[in-house]
Amino acid sequence: MSKRLLEVSGVSVTFDGFRAINNLSIAIAEPELRAVIGPNGAGKTTFMDIITGKTKPDEGKVIWGEKSISLLGMSESQIARAGIGRKFQKPTVFEAQTVRENLAMALKNKRGPFDVLFYRKTANGAARIEALAAEIGLSDQLTRVAGELSHGQKQWLEIGMLLAQDPRLLLVDEPAAGMTPAEREQTTDLLVRAAKTRAVVVVEHDMEFVRRLNCKVTVLHEGSVLAEGSLDHVTQNPDVIEVYLGR
Amino acid sequence: MTKSFLATNRSVLVFLLVLSLFTLAVTVMAEATGYGLISTSFVKTLGKTLCLCLIAIAMDVVWGYCGILSLGHFAFFGIGGYAIGMWLMYARTEEIVAGSLANQPLPATPQEVSDAIGTQIFGVVGSSDFPLIWSFAHSLPLQLLAILIVPGLLALVFGWLAFRSRVTGVYLSILTQAMTLALSLYLFQNDSGLRGNNGLSGLQNIPGVSASQDDVSIWFFWASAVALGLGYLLFAFVTSGKMGSVIRAIRDDEARVRFLGYHVESYKLFVFTITAMVAGIAGALYYPQAGIINPAEIAPIASIYLAVWVAIGGRGRLYGAVIGATLVSLLSSWFTGGSAPAINLGFYKIVWTDWWLVLLGLSFVVVTLFFPQGIGGLFDFVAVKRNSDYGPSEGAWRAEEGKPE
Repeated sequence: MSKRLLEVSGVSVTFDGFRAINNLSIAIAEPELRAVIGPNGAGKTTFMDIITGKTKPDEGKVIWGEKSISLLGMSESQIARAGIGRKFQKPTVFEAQTVRENLAMALKNKRGPFDVLFYRKTANGAARIEALAAEIGLSDQLTRVAGELSHGQKQWLEIGMLLAQDPRLLLVDEPAAGMTPAEREQTTDLLVRAAKTRAVVVVEHDMEFVRRLNCKVTVLHEGSVLAEGSLDHVTQNPDVIEVYLGR
Repeated sequence: MTKSFLATNRSVLVFLLVLSLFTLAVTVMAEATGYGLISTSFVKTLGKTLCLCLIAIAMDVVWGYCGILSLGHFAFFGIGGYAIGMWLMYARTEEIVAGSLANQPLPATPQEVSDAIGTQIFGVVGSSDFPLIWSFAHSLPLQLLAILIVPGLLALVFGWLAFRSRVTGVYLSILTQAMTLALSLYLFQNDSGLRGNNGLSGLQNIPGVSASQDDVSIWFFWASAVALGLGYLLFAFVTSGKMGSVIRAIRDDEARVRFLGYHVESYKLFVFTITAMVAGIAGALYYPQAGIINPAEIAPIASIYLAVWVAIGGRGRLYGAVIGATLVSLLSSWFTGGSAPAINLGFYKIVWTDWWLVLLGLSFVVVTLFFPQGIGGLFDFVAVKRNSDYGPSEGAWRAEEGKPE
């Protein structure tokens, strides 16, 4: 049976009087694949910002792991080291560096400046990089500069960097944006495979993509949960229909 | 991997080779050790240029690699100069005072000696007492330590405060510039304890050394060459491998690096502090060759020059910084020294002592606008051309889909 990994409860955030998140509560288990959908401005990205420490909520709790640690007092890098990886909406890879360098940087290792300064490459690390590159379909591109990759390849590289961190929770923001249909399909496979061993939360507003993920769906609206369940279940919910089609 | 550090970084080997050949050539041509083809004052100029190259590579690491446009590294350079200058001046004055007191019928008490040294050094600012910061001036080892520790500590505290508050970009540059200006204004005061605008002088005379300036100049030249070589090795090591990867990543997108789990502030602090310490060493080697240091040397304009050298030479490559510093500082002394021939336009005569800064400013603008890679970028044309095709690959974001980022 899967156990609870992350619990967000009663969280609210206000930006200049605008309530971006309003008494939001979501629990994620490990392993689990979860899709978070919602119209523009529903608070999907802010929800990720809160978990990863980029935005501090005004109230509420974010509890992590077996030891029930609060993530609210931690910095972005501490949260990342605790095991939460994040992929941004826009592919953000280090374009001036090679695919291998990008993956090597993300590889799970000690993160202190002196650990990194005296870091020696290991055969084990090289093998990990090869395996990751194979997983994301970039085996032939390891020596290429990331800036030369296509948009879809950059997205995969970023997912590969996430996997390299070996996080327990992966937050993926609109992974399919700007992808060709074939690329979308590969991305879904990638995420479904990743979710076998860890928790993966995918924020998306493309329903077709969510359907292919075939997982539990949380619908956000105006900063709180509107409905939760299978995709068919939530799409029949009158409130959801109202939000998506009503206006 | 099995390959050694030098084998994977060919440019370091090439640089060290060029530096050794240059040092050898100057040694052969110097007054003291060779045929006397170049004057002692030019040996000093070359030695000083090597020190400027050393601070330029430090600047390149902090700016070109890590993206922190520090306008304060010349302050660390100056602090290094002051640290060694205090000992040089104290020990030298002590020698002179001891010599003149030796003729007295009664031997001088330690208090009398101290007072005499104090009067000699601080007479110009109307004082004879030793200020607190001169407490260790009598000790060469302690002042040598200060060359590293004072700039390092200042950079550590300043950097910690600035980076912790996530001050970045132009705001950080302004902060570093303010720090430099504050330090320089403080030193200009007579009661700062470092002789106000007189600065420290006579630094070319090494206490306890009776050799001529011909010899001393070539020693310092060698020391500067060794320091530059070691500094280059150090920074090549820091900017290669995984550390270099993380540092460049911080320059390009520090928020992303944070989400990878790296504590970005520690990395910036590391780079800022280590480069400040190297700047201190460069200053400590520079000022004994210059002979004098005063607060004007620390003024913000010096640090801005430093940024100009690195930009012209080429950011993000260590040899670029060396090329920029050498070229611009030597050209600068040629133009401002009055040896550059004036151009007579008939209606107006271009005198380079007045127009050099305009020329430098123009070249800075031209380089940043049209050759962002700087002079060092020319080496890319010499290197093997990449033969990959930069066209859009399968599935790339195309114009119809939106604006590529």
